[in-house]
Amino acid sequence: MEEGLMSECDNSSPVARLSRRRLLRSIGGGAALSLAAPFVLRHGRAEAASKNLVFVTWGGTYRSSVEEGLIKPFMAETGINVTVIDTPDLAKVKAQVTTGNVEWDVFDAPGAMGTAGSKAGYWEPLSSSLFDASDLSIAATADLVPFYTFAGGIAYDPKRYPEGKYPKNFAEYFDAKAFPGRRTFRNRPSETLEAALLADGVPPSKIYPLDVDRAFKALDRIKPSVAKWVDSTPQTITLLQTNEVDFSYSYASRVRTTGVTGAGMAFSFAQTLNGLEYLAVLKNAPNKENALKFVSYALQPARQAAVMELLGNTPVSKKALPMLSADTRKWLPDMSFDQNLIMDEMWWSDNFEKLSRRFKEWVLT
Amino acid sequence: MSGVENSRAAAAYVSPAAIVSLVIAAVPLLFILFTSVDGRGLSPEAFENLLSSTLFRRSLYTTIEISVSASLISLVLGYAVALHLARQSPRRRALYMVLVLLPFWTSILVKSYAFTVILGREGVINSLLSWVSGSHIALPMILNRFGVMVGMTNYLTPFIVFPVLASLLAIDPALYRAADIMSARPMRIFFTITLPLSLPGVMAGVSSVIVMSLGFFIIPALLGGRQDVMLANLVDFYTRETLDWNMAAAIGVLLLAMVVLLSAPALWIRRNRLVGST
Repeated sequence: MEEGLMSECDNSSPVARLSRRRLLRSIGGGAALSLAAPFVLRHGRAEAASKNLVFVTWGGTYRSSVEEGLIKPFMAETGINVTVIDTPDLAKVKAQVTTGNVEWDVFDAPGAMGTAGSKAGYWEPLSSSLFDASDLSIAATADLVPFYTFAGGIAYDPKRYPEGKYPKNFAEYFDAKAFPGRRTFRNRPSETLEAALLADGVPPSKIYPLDVDRAFKALDRIKPSVAKWVDSTPQTITLLQTNEVDFSYSYASRVRTTGVTGAGMAFSFAQTLNGLEYLAVLKNAPNKENALKFVSYALQPARQAAVMELLGNTPVSKKALPMLSADTRKWLPDMSFDQNLIMDEMWWSDNFEKLSRRFKEWVLT
Repeated sequence: MSGVENSRAAAAYVSPAAIVSLVIAAVPLLFILFTSVDGRGLSPEAFENLLSSTLFRRSLYTTIEISVSASLISLVLGYAVALHLARQSPRRRALYMVLVLLPFWTSILVKSYAFTVILGREGVINSLLSWVSGSHIALPMILNRFGVMVGMTNYLTPFIVFPVLASLLAIDPALYRAADIMSARPMRIFFTITLPLSLPGVMAGVSSVIVMSLGFFIIPALLGGRQDVMLANLVDFYTRETLDWNMAAAIGVLLLAMVVLLSAPALWIRRNRLVGST
C-alpha cells in the first residue's frame, strides 16, 4: 500500500549480500536465523516443530491495527510466536531468496509488489484448501491470496474547500481551471496512469490494457499543478495538513485516521481507484507450516472483520463485510458503483518496470 | 627506534583496521563491480544503458549542479563561522562549538522534517512574514531547489567549519602581530595571511563536502521538487522499484569513480604541500 521513505535506512542492499552470506556460513546460522530455528531448517523439513513466524507488514498505526486484530489472537490460539517486521521490500525478498538466506515467512504485499514477486518466483505455491474460495470476493492466484482492497482517491481539507469547491472525481482533479490549486500524485506510474485515463474520459471497464500514450498526454495537462510527486504514503496526508498542497491523491483508510487525531481531512467517494493487498509466503520460508496456518487464519471471516474494522479497508471475505460497524462501512467504497476502478495487478506485473522508467523520465522533463 | 621496529609497530596498530575495512568495504565493493557487469556475464550492458538513458544523464547533471552549489554556499558560510570561532577566547569558542555540533549531531531525517515545519507555506517563516506585513504571505521554500539548498548547506556547513578552524588556529599569531606592525589593513591581512594559510583546511573541507553531497538521498527526496532527482535517488529506484541491480550497481561504480576523480587532486595537493614544507 505504501513505500515508506524510512525504509531506505535499513535496506539490505545487494552490497550486503556477499559478506552476510559468508558471515552466516561461518558461524552456522547467524543472529537472524537463530531466532527462528537451527541451521538445518534452511534445507528442508522439520518446520512444523518451530513455534515461530516472521511477518513483514507496514509500520505505524497500520501495524498496531494488524497486531490487535490478527496477530494477538493468532498467537493466543496457536501458541506460535509472531515476530513483526516493518516495511515490506521486494528488494530484500530478492536478496533473501537468491542467496538462500530466507529470514521472512509471510509478506504483506501491495498488488504490484505481489505480482512482481510471483513473476520472479519468490513465493511458495498456496493450496486452495487453505481458505474457503466461495467466500472470497476476489480469487486467489497460485501463490498469492488477496487480503483486502484499499481505496485511493481525492483527499481535501473540508475547512478550506467546502462542498462544490473541491474536485470530486478524476476528471475534476485534472481540471486546473475549474478547481485551481496545487495537487499531489504518486511518484510511480501505477495508479497515476489509471487516474489520468479516467480523467480523460475512459470508462473504468475499458481502462485495461492502458492506453499509455493517451495517459501521458493527459498527465501533461496536470503536470504544472502537481506540487509534489509523493514517494511515501504519509506525505499524501501531511502535505495536505500543512497546506503545502490543496488537493491530494491519498487513501480512504489514511484519511479516516486523520479524524481520530482531530485534524479531520475528507475523502471523495465519487470515484476511487481500488488496489489489492495480498499475502504471500516466501519461497523456502523457514517456518512454512506456520506461515500457511497464518495465511489461512487471516482469511477467516471473523479475523477479516476484526482487522478491517481497525484498518478501514475492504475485507475480501464476503461474510466479513456485514460484520463491520456502520461507521467503518462509511469509509469503504461501494464497489457496485460503475465509476470505481479495480486495478489490474497482472497487467502491471508485465509493464511496471518499463513504464516506471518512462514515467520517471517524464517527471524530470 | 630503528626503522624496522617502527614499521612493525605501525603494522600492529594499523592491521586490525585494515583487515576490518578490507572485509566490510573492499569485499562488498568488489561485489558491486561484479554485479555492475552482470556477474560472470561480464557485460557492459548496464553501463551502456545508463549512458544512453535520459533519466541517468539528467540526474547526473542535477547531482553535479546541486553538489557544487551546495558546497560553495557551505564553504562561504562555514568559513565565516570558522573565522569567528578562531577569534574567540578558548572558553567562548568551546561554548560556540556546541552550537555548531548540536545540528551536526542531529539526525538528517529529523532535520529534514524540521525544515518542512520551518520553511513550509504555513511554516514558521511564512507565518512570521505574514504577521509582520499584515498580509498573507506563502513563499514556496520547500519542494524546490531552494529547499534542497537550505537542507544541504545546513548539513554540510559543520564539515567545513572543523577543518578550516583547525587550519586557522594553527596559524602563528606572530604573523598577525607582524602584519599589524607593518600597518597592513584587515583585508590585506586576510588575503595575504589568513586565506593562504587556511587553504589546506579549505581543501579538506570542500573535498569531503562535495564527496558527501554526491551521495545525498533523503534531503532531495523530502525537500526537493520533481526535478531534484540525484543519483542516489536513482540507485534507490533501480534497487527497490525495478529490482534491476545491475543498473543500480553501475550507478554506484560511476559515483565511486567520480569521488575518486574528485579526491585525487586534493590528495595530490596535500602531499605536495607536505613535501614542500619539510
